[in-house]
Amino acid sequence: MTVPFLQIRGIRKEYGAVTAVDDVTLNVEKGEFLTFLGPSGSGKSTTLYILAGFENPTSGDILLEGKTLLQTPSHKRNIGMVFQRYTLFPHLSVGENIAFPLRVRRLPKAEIDEKVRRMLKLVRLEGYEDRMPAKMSGGQQQRVALARALAYDPPVLLMDEPLSALDKKLREEIQYEIRRIHQETSVTILYVTHDQEEALRLSDRIAVFSRGVIDQTGTGPELYANPATRFVAQFIGDSDFLKGVVAATSGGLADIHLGDETVVTGVPVHGKATAGGNAAVMLRPERINLSRTAGTDRAGIAATVNDITFLGNNTHVATVTSANEALSVRLPFGDTAINGLTTGEKVWITWDPATTHAFCD
Amino acid sequence: MLLNFDKLGMWKWVLTGFSVLVALFLLVPILFIVALSFGSSQWLIFPPPGWTLRWYQELLADPRWLESALTSAKIAIIVTLCSVILGLLASFGLTRGRFAGRETLRALFLTPMIMPVVVLAVALYAFFLKIGLNGTLLGFVIAHLILALPFSIISIGNALDSFDRSIEDAAILCGAHPLEAKLRVTLPGIRHGLFAAAIFSFLVSWDEVVVAIFMASPTLQTLPVKIWATLRQDLTPVIAAASTLLVVFTVVLMIVAALLRKGFKS
Repeated sequence: MTVPFLQIRGIRKEYGAVTAVDDVTLNVEKGEFLTFLGPSGSGKSTTLYILAGFENPTSGDILLEGKTLLQTPSHKRNIGMVFQRYTLFPHLSVGENIAFPLRVRRLPKAEIDEKVRRMLKLVRLEGYEDRMPAKMSGGQQQRVALARALAYDPPVLLMDEPLSALDKKLREEIQYEIRRIHQETSVTILYVTHDQEEALRLSDRIAVFSRGVIDQTGTGPELYANPATRFVAQFIGDSDFLKGVVAATSGGLADIHLGDETVVTGVPVHGKATAGGNAAVMLRPERINLSRTAGTDRAGIAATVNDITFLGNNTHVATVTSANEALSVRLPFGDTAINGLTTGEKVWITWDPATTHAFCD
Repeated sequence: MLLNFDKLGMWKWVLTGFSVLVALFLLVPILFIVALSFGSSQWLIFPPPGWTLRWYQELLADPRWLESALTSAKIAIIVTLCSVILGLLASFGLTRGRFAGRETLRALFLTPMIMPVVVLAVALYAFFLKIGLNGTLLGFVIAHLILALPFSIISIGNALDSFDRSIEDAAILCGAHPLEAKLRVTLPGIRHGLFAAAIFSFLVSWDEVVVAIFMASPTLQTLPVKIWATLRQDLTPVIAAASTLLVVFTVVLMIVAALLRKGFKS
């Protein structure tokens, strides 16, 4: 078996009594775009700062191509980084900013000039060499920061929420730029964000962080279809949860007793499922159906329509179950179930048990 | 803006008039001195009965004036250098350091600003008498450095506070040794603060008189001490001429500072 390109092994970081990162282990392949996704304070940025060498882990190790990085000080790690805030050197022009890491490495001038030119071309800012950072927009500054971080061909590029200061439209534009640059340079990228859409758009794989641990690592579709924890289910995509009690389990599937006498059978179950234990059943608004008459072929539950919102390509129907739990249904444009639907109407919500998940504490 | 000057109506004129009065209140004594320095009367009579350059001739003819000006400049330049370097180091510690008693230490560094200068002067005099520093260049420099350092720490500390640490971190990840990152990125980034610290430190030392009177010896006098001593001996318009030159020099310094600051911004 070959050694993984970058290994994060059991990293812990404690600040006094607070554990910011709790035993994070992860392998990253060469050329991969991997995103740390999670809310603020989940340990994703701390993990990135440990990789950069600005923080020392309490325990654990980081290996790049089989060799530990922890003994190497930040300035010798040869890692590139784009920060959340604008970090261009304010007294240097764009060209001088990109040349900075190369000058520090004492490369010959001709080589530096050539590299600066190539980098400006890569981030599509040709002709901006002499511009001062203060005279550029936020998006342009982050592109220059990206060029500067890639100028010395780092094996790994770290990006700490680089687009969070930009407005939505510009953010999407630069997301595509980053994706293109990743494809052109095939640099390994570790990207931190709290924005699930950004993570899904950019990444090959996503590691979902929650309270200092990685809940699950996988591709976007994997995380969406098969969330391992309730947190992942909540964080990636929209979802509602119905409270239930486990009736019986066998081979990772469970029969779950919902509030009103309904028993759904064959639901994939996560966590410690024991008969009689509590479970939360996850339902995705676009993967459930709404009908006005009860059927028996699928799992279903009765609900009352609370609100109907037309959203163009889909219609959002907010309902409340008999157990007083909110349940959203998203119906595609043209679904006949909507015709004549009124608030206060009793409806029947059905789904395929195999597409849902139950989470036990 | 809370108040729009153009929409104030007639209040605009009231405000303008008031501002002119305040400006006059600050400027008239200085202009008065300047006028006297060109006046022909020996007794500093205003308005001057005639005009002359005689007092400037006398001033330049007396080598002691030039000597004291050079002493002042020498002390002020050494104080400026020391104050900026120590202020920079102290600011790094106070801004970036995480240690108990940091705020107390900051307050301690700033006490010379609020302590009555004469108290400090007497204390230094008594102490320097014991260790033989009175009337020496070193004694002058130390005394003025104590007065200048708070200004330096405030200017540089503010600049360092508003300088994003991530920029320095970026330079380090780019491959620069932490010290190299500070020299090549952080220092240029806070240069307006360094510059302000230098100007303030220079001026604090340059026109300081109270501590200087205690530190001075007959052979080592700064310009303000020389003015003070001459003032006590004979009330000659030469003092007005010396003061005028002092004012001109300070104004030139401030203009240069303003121009340089404008240069930093662009």
